[in-house]
Amino acid sequence: MRISNKEPFDVIVCGAGHAGVEASLAAARMGARTLLLSGNIDTIGAMSCNPAIGGQAKGHIVREIDALGGEMGINADTTGIQFRLLNASKGAAVQAPRVQSDKKAYQFRLKHTIEHQKNLTLFQATVTELIFKGNMVVGCKTNLDLDLFGHSIVVTTGTFLRGLMHVGKKKNKGGRMGDFSAESLSNSFTEAGIQLERLKTGTPPRILGRSIDYSSLEEQPGDENPTLFGFYDTRSETDMFHVEHPGERKLGWEPGKNQVSCWITYTSEDTHNIIRENLHLSAMYSGAIEGIGPRYCPSIEDKIVRFCDKDRHRLFLEPEGRNTNEYYINGLSTSLPFNVQEDILETIPGLEHAQLMRPAYAVEYDFAPPTQLYPSLESKFVENLFFAGQINGTSGYEEAAGQGIMAGINAVKKGRGEEPLILQRHESYIGVLIDDLVTKGTSEPYRMFTSRAEHRLLLNHSSAELRLSEHAINSCLIDASRWSKISYKISSIAKWEKNFEVLKTKGGTFAEAIRRDEKVIDYPNGFKSETAEIQNEVIYRLKYKGYLSRELKLVQRMASVDRIKLPTPFEYSKVRGLRKESAVKLNSIQPINLGQAKRISGVNPSDISILMVLLEAGKLR
Amino acid sequence: MEIQDTFVALSTPHGESALGVIRCSGPLCPNLVKDIFGNKSPTPRRTYVSDYHSETGEFLDNVVYTFYENEKSYTGDSMLELSCHGNPFILQHILEDLVTRGCRHAQPGEFTQSAFLNGKMDLSQAEAVIDLIKARTDLSFKAASNQLQGSLSRRINGIVENLLQIIAEIEAYIDFPEEDLPTDGESSPISRLKNLSDEISELSETARTGIFLREGVKTIIIGAPNAGKSSLLNQLLGESRAIVSNQPGTTRDYIEASFYVDPYRINILDTAGVHSTENEIEKAGIAKTLEQIELSDLILLTIDASESPPLFPDSVLSLLKLDNTILVHNKSDLEFCPKSKAYLPEFQRIEISALTGAGISDLKVKIKDLLGNPIVSEQGDVVAVSARHHTALLEGSKELMSSIDLLNLDEPAELVASHLRDAMGSLERIVGRIDNERMLDKLFSSFCIGK
Repeated sequence: MRISNKEPFDVIVCGAGHAGVEASLAAARMGARTLLLSGNIDTIGAMSCNPAIGGQAKGHIVREIDALGGEMGINADTTGIQFRLLNASKGAAVQAPRVQSDKKAYQFRLKHTIEHQKNLTLFQATVTELIFKGNMVVGCKTNLDLDLFGHSIVVTTGTFLRGLMHVGKKKNKGGRMGDFSAESLSNSFTEAGIQLERLKTGTPPRILGRSIDYSSLEEQPGDENPTLFGFYDTRSETDMFHVEHPGERKLGWEPGKNQVSCWITYTSEDTHNIIRENLHLSAMYSGAIEGIGPRYCPSIEDKIVRFCDKDRHRLFLEPEGRNTNEYYINGLSTSLPFNVQEDILETIPGLEHAQLMRPAYAVEYDFAPPTQLYPSLESKFVENLFFAGQINGTSGYEEAAGQGIMAGINAVKKGRGEEPLILQRHESYIGVLIDDLVTKGTSEPYRMFTSRAEHRLLLNHSSAELRLSEHAINSCLIDASRWSKISYKISSIAKWEKNFEVLKTKGGTFAEAIRRDEKVIDYPNGFKSETAEIQNEVIYRLKYKGYLSRELKLVQRMASVDRIKLPTPFEYSKVRGLRKESAVKLNSIQPINLGQAKRISGVNPSDISILMVLLEAGKLR
Repeated sequence: MEIQDTFVALSTPHGESALGVIRCSGPLCPNLVKDIFGNKSPTPRRTYVSDYHSETGEFLDNVVYTFYENEKSYTGDSMLELSCHGNPFILQHILEDLVTRGCRHAQPGEFTQSAFLNGKMDLSQAEAVIDLIKARTDLSFKAASNQLQGSLSRRINGIVENLLQIIAEIEAYIDFPEEDLPTDGESSPISRLKNLSDEISELSETARTGIFLREGVKTIIIGAPNAGKSSLLNQLLGESRAIVSNQPGTTRDYIEASFYVDPYRINILDTAGVHSTENEIEKAGIAKTLEQIELSDLILLTIDASESPPLFPDSVLSLLKLDNTILVHNKSDLEFCPKSKAYLPEFQRIEISALTGAGISDLKVKIKDLLGNPIVSEQGDVVAVSARHHTALLEGSKELMSSIDLLNLDEPAELVASHLRDAMGSLERIVGRIDNERMLDKLFSSFCIGK
C-alpha cells in the first residue's frame, strides 16, 4: 500500500526508540494499521547510553513488557553478551535480571522484527509538525513535504526535541551524538497548549578496548546460569527466533552462552584534583545548562563536589558488543571539555593509555511535564495524542519501553472506542511508573526504583506473567496457545499453594517446612515434574505468605477508593470547602478516580473526605 | 458544597451563669440580623447592643450581637453570635425563636465539623478544638492548645526524619546493589530503631495522660462495709457529701463527686461495701461494683486497719493491679492490727484517718504519683496524644520492633523495609502523607549513586 495514500492509518508512532518500537509493535499486533516514523531507520532501538537492559526495578519492567507480548525482553536475551541476576542474595521480590547486549545486534534485530511485523509500516521521515482539527490531532507533516494521517498519534521523541549537546563550552544541536535534532515539532505542542520544560542527561566517554591495561583491573564475569527476561516456558520457540529463522524452531546457540566480562576500576586522587581544577569548564557547573539532571546518575564532577569525603569512585568498563572493541565507562559521565576528559583517563588505573573514541557529553532536551496526561498516556489538551518515553520526563530504555507499549495499546483502544488499559500500582511496575508520572509529575529524569512500589513484595519479576496475562489476552496482545499455558501455570501454582498447607512432610506440612527455610527433599513427584517457574513461585508464595496476604489486604482496601470514579474534565474551584491549593492541584491533574486524587501531593485527607461526601451526595458532576 | 441549613446552638454550658452565648451558622444569618435587629448591613466582626424581640413581638432580652461574613468566620459560613443573659429560661426562648425563624438545632460538634468541611482546619486541628472545648483544668487547656499549634506534629516529624534516614539506608542497599556503598562505619540500624521505638512508645503512653486531662480520672473507692469509705470520700472532697454512719451498708447506691489533684480532675465513685457473701441481693450489688472497678483508672482499696483483714472475693482481687490501686489503711487514730498491716504487701499503701483527716494530703500526693506526670517538652509544652494517635503510635512501635527482630535474624532487607514502611504509615495517620520523594532525597544526599 502506498504511504502517500490519503487513507489514514489507525496509529502513527513518531520516533523509533525504545518507546516507539514497543508502541508500534503492540498496535500492529493488536491488528491496527500502524505507521512507524523515524528520522533515521538505521538507528531503530539504538542504545544511546549504556549497553545494558534491566537491573533493579528496570528488569522487572522488562519482564512485564514480555508478559504483555512486547519485544524488549526477547531482544535483549537473544543479543545478550553478559547476564547477571542482581540482588541474588536477597529475597525474590527484589532480585532483578540485567543483560548486557551487543548494541548493534540489538538494533538490527529490532529493525528486522519490525520489518517482519504484519500491519506495521516502517518509513524514514522526520516529523516537523502536527496537524490538528479542533482539539484533536489528525496527522503530521514531515520533512518530505508529505502529510500523513492517522486516528491516533503516539509521540516518542526521546531526547530529540530541541536536543542540545554539551562538551565543555562547545554546543551542538542533536538528540544523540552524530544525529539530528527535531527543532520545529516543539512549536506544535506549545501551540496546542502543551507546556514544555527542559531536562538534562549525560553519557560517559567510550574508549578502545585494546588500549586498556587489564592487568590491574578486577574482572566481573556473567552468571553461569543466566536469568532471562522472556517467559520461554509459555512463549512458543518461534516467538524467540522469529527473526533469525522465521518458521524454524532452533538456533545453533542459546542465549547466555559464550559470555563476555566487564571490568572494574576506580577514580584516583589525581582524577579528583583534575576535576576540581577544571570545574569552571564543565557545562554543568558553568551554568551553560539550564535543564535539571538526575540525582541518581550524577556526572563525575557532581560526585566529587557532593561527596568530597569519598576518596575514590567505582567505574565499570562495559563492552559495547561482540563485533566491536569499543568500551563504555559506566560511572564517568561528564560535560567537561574533551582535553580534560583525556587528562582524567590518564589518572585512572588501567586507562593510563586508553584511547578515547567518543567523548562524554551532556544533552538537554524538551520534555512535556507528564501531569498533562491522563493515565492512558493521552494528552488532556489534545484528543487522540499520546506521549511515551523520555518526552514524559523519564530516563532509561526500560521506562521508555514500558510507557511505549501502554501508549500503543491505548492508542488502538481509543480508535476502537474501548476503555483504556490502565495497569494498577499493585499489579505492575509499569502501573507505578505511569501513575507516578501523571499524578505527581517529575522534576528530574524519572527512573524506576523498587522503593517506589509500595506493594513491592507482590511484584517479584518472575510473577510478571501471572499478574498481567489477563490484560494481555483481553487486549489480544498474546495468542491463545500462550494464554492456555499461562492458565495452566496459574492454576498449578494455586493448587500446590493450597495442597502444601495440608500435605505433610517431616515435622509438619510442606508449607511450614518452606517457611522454616528448610531444604525440602521429599516433594511429591507431581510437584517435581512441574517447571522450575511454577516450583519457584509456589515456594515464594508460601514462604512469604504472611507478608503477601497482608499486602493483598491493603490492596483490597485501596481498591475501593480506586473504584470511585471522578468526572473528567471537572472544575474543582467550584467545590466549596476544598483548600485553594488542593483545588489548583486537582484541576491540573484531573484525577480519574478517588485513589489517584488521594495520591496527589498537596491534596490531604480532609480534601478527600470532602470529595467523598460530595460524591456520596451526588453533587460532583 | 451548599450547606442549605442554618444551625443554632447554645455555646456555653447549660445552667445558670452570667452570660449565655448562642451561635448560628449558615446562609440565613444576614437575614436574621436584618429581621431581628433591623440592621441591613452589619459591619462584620463588630459588636452591637440591641433588644431581642421574638417573631411574635415579645421582648426577650437585651443582647450583644456580632455578625461574621462568609469564609472569614469560624465555620466558613456566615455566622451570628449572640451574648445573652445567662438565664436558662431566656436562652431557651431565644433558641426556640431562632428555630421558628428557620434555623435548626445543631448536632454535637457540627460547628467544628463544618469548619473542617469548609477547609478552615485540618483533622488534627478539629480534634484539638474538640479537646479545647472539653478542657477543664489549666494544664489540659495547655495540652490542647499546643497540639493545635503543632507541638505534637513537631515531635512526630522529628521521629519521621530519623525513620526516613534509616529507610533510605536500607533502600539504598536494595535498589543499588552495584554501588560501592559503605559496608561498615554506619552505625547499625538496630540501636537507632530501638531508640525510635522507645520514643514512640513514650509518646503513645501520654494518651493516658491525655485522657485523664480531658475526661478526668475515673476513680472508685472500694472496701468492706464500714471500712470508712464514705468518710474518706468526704475528707477528699472537703465537704459532707456522703451520708456517713457507723452502720455497715449505709451507702446503698453510688455516690459520685469530683475533686482536683492538680492537674487531674478525679471523678470519684463511692460504692457499697464489698465482701464475700451468699446473699443473693448483695451478690448482685457486688457484681455491679465489679463492673465499675473494671471501668476505673484508679482504685482506692480502703480497709479498716484496726481489725483483721477483710475477705474480698477473688473476682475483686483479680482486678487490682499495681499501677491502678492504692491500699488505704484507714483508722490510723486507732491501734493497727498487725495482720492487717501485712495484708496485700505488694501494693502501694498509705495510712490515714478519715475521722481526723490525717494523711489525706499524703494520699493526694500518692494519687498524683500513680497517675504519672505529663510529658513536658523543652519549651514547657505538655504533650498528650489523643486515643486515635495512641493507636497509631502503638502500631508504629510494634512494626519497628518487628523490623528489629528481622534484622537480628538476618532476614531479607525488603521484609525489614516492609515493616518500616508500615511504621511510617502509622505516623502518616498523625501528620499526613509522607511522599516517597522525601526518602529518596535522603537517599541521594547520603549516598553517591552513580552507575
